[in-house]
Amino acid sequence: MFINKMRGVLVMGLAAAVVLTSCSKVKRDPGLEYAPQMYRPIAYNPDQKNSVFADGKTAQTPVEGTIPTNYEVFHYPHTPEGYEAAGLELKSPLAHTNENLEEGKRLFLNMCSHCHGKTGMADGNVVAKAGFPAPPAYNSALLKNLPEGKMFYSITYGKGAMGSHASQLSKEERWKIIQYVQYLQQQ
Amino acid sequence: MSKNSNVFLKTCLKKGVLILTIAFLSVAQAFAADPKEGETLFKANCTACHAVGKRVTGPDLKNVDQRHDEAWLVKWVHDSQAMVKGGDAAAVKVFGEFSQQVMPSFANLSEDNVKSILAYIKQEGEALDKKAAAAPAGGATAADSGTSSYTIFGLLGLVVVLFLVIVVLNRVIKTLEQLVLTRKAEGSISETEEEEEAVPSKFVQTIKILASNKKVIALSIVAVLVVGSAWSWKEMWEVGVTQNYQPAQPIKFSHKVHAGVNQINCQYCHSGAWKSKNASIPSANVCMNCHNQINEYKGEALVDADGEKIDGTAEIQKIYQALDYDPATQKYGTSQRPIEWVRIHNLPDFAYFNHSQHVKVAEESIRAAKGLKAEDPVCYACHGEVAKMDEVYQASQLTMQWCVDCHRSTEMKHAPKNHYYDGMVELHEKIKKGEKVTVAQMGGLECAKCHY
Repeated sequence: MFINKMRGVLVMGLAAAVVLTSCSKVKRDPGLEYAPQMYRPIAYNPDQKNSVFADGKTAQTPVEGTIPTNYEVFHYPHTPEGYEAAGLELKSPLAHTNENLEEGKRLFLNMCSHCHGKTGMADGNVVAKAGFPAPPAYNSALLKNLPEGKMFYSITYGKGAMGSHASQLSKEERWKIIQYVQYLQQQ
Repeated sequence: MSKNSNVFLKTCLKKGVLILTIAFLSVAQAFAADPKEGETLFKANCTACHAVGKRVTGPDLKNVDQRHDEAWLVKWVHDSQAMVKGGDAAAVKVFGEFSQQVMPSFANLSEDNVKSILAYIKQEGEALDKKAAAAPAGGATAADSGTSSYTIFGLLGLVVVLFLVIVVLNRVIKTLEQLVLTRKAEGSISETEEEEEAVPSKFVQTIKILASNKKVIALSIVAVLVVGSAWSWKEMWEVGVTQNYQPAQPIKFSHKVHAGVNQINCQYCHSGAWKSKNASIPSANVCMNCHNQINEYKGEALVDADGEKIDGTAEIQKIYQALDYDPATQKYGTSQRPIEWVRIHNLPDFAYFNHSQHVKVAEESIRAAKGLKAEDPVCYACHGEVAKMDEVYQASQLTMQWCVDCHRSTEMKHAPKNHYYDGMVELHEKIKKGEKVTVAQMGGLECAKCHY
């Protein structure tokens, strides 16, 4: 008798579990896979786990003191003196062309406008809606006459609440953005 | 005489005006520290780095008037670096504590302006204190303690229901047993009678007859074969097709909040998509570009795909845990670990796909072919409307047929310029004229020509 009772409870429990889990339409599992040895990479993808390295990551930072090919080191140190020096000496290597300005605009809208606003008035949604402290407007007394070297320093190292954008933007892209920022300041 | 009186009147007037101005100025002096004026000045000049009641880039300005005297603060606002270089102990200390970030000089603010700002800061600080005193201790935080309260209550309910079932079944069994016992005692049923009741019913008998009929057997085998192969045909097409795959991620990151509400462009985080094969998952430093300041989620309530509530603030804390970051001191620790995101879009290793080729070179063609709106990112063509997804899922099939279909129907756009094809035409002309053209000129030195 007791065994029968236990069986009943077990069946009911299983049925309840099946009903509960089958309700969800969310596909949390990728499903059946055919010939995984052909599909899964043999070499490591950058975002993959890697047991070879101590920290378990495939994407390793370059060994200290080495410089990747085609990489230009930014020589101004991350200090107040470096900031001033960059302002005095550093100049854009790019020509002022419409092409650069257009690309600068595209990059500015994609990479900067969510905080600085589409026209540099510091009214982007991350400031207006998410509560990020508003940066000074581009035409404010503080920034109106900012030398381009200081702008480059600020994008590279970050300034105030703004973080470094060096990992997202190449040097050339940074200079293109600066060209567009200067254009906005003249408006 | 009249002339004299005129002069006398004039001097009187002059004196009167002078006295009035002096009186006005002294009154103005008394009201110089105007918190209203301070508010506008504070918002225009200070909020990029300072807040009252919270450390931003610079120190929390609450009770700043208690930490330093007014004259010191005015001097600091006018030229903080001069004070640091001059060796002012307090100035050097603050400068060092806040990782040597230079506060710009606000020489344009007068002493009265600074005093007004200080008055505003004091007023704000007092308002904060009042608020803290008014709020019952711990009252607000207790309200939404468990994100998974639904599940817990659901499980508890299930236990209760199952328990009730056990009780009811026990009752039924007991009464039945009682019945059998009483009947046995009455002698109305016997063991043999019970066996007679086990004689197969009419339904079972017909099934037995049908099961011995050869035609029926053959027909059912055919039916099973047809249904089985139809089902396996359908299933086989779905092997390795992971459309709608929506794995649970280690941090319940909402694209709807980031790309939708806050309108952060795809490129900001997936900057690799425009210049390389991989769209790249942002490293945590990109998260921290905003979340060094934004450490609370204050938007609309979030729900994941399973219908469970998401506590946005707790999810933001997960970035800090991974980075061993302390929001109070804004310093990173040493025990950092990677955030293990689950990859959703997986192409087989034998298929080469390059994001930049599609997103940058072919953007116009893809936009036209898929009929995307001008304000939508080109990414929508394959990834669906990500800015509306709280949890991302694989919107497209990503099968070979899906790729090929698109490549068959998409028309090439040449607007406004295509460096690759323009260059090709130029080289082609040179080759026709018999001029020297090397493989390198045709892109033969591109790494990805050989290595991928």
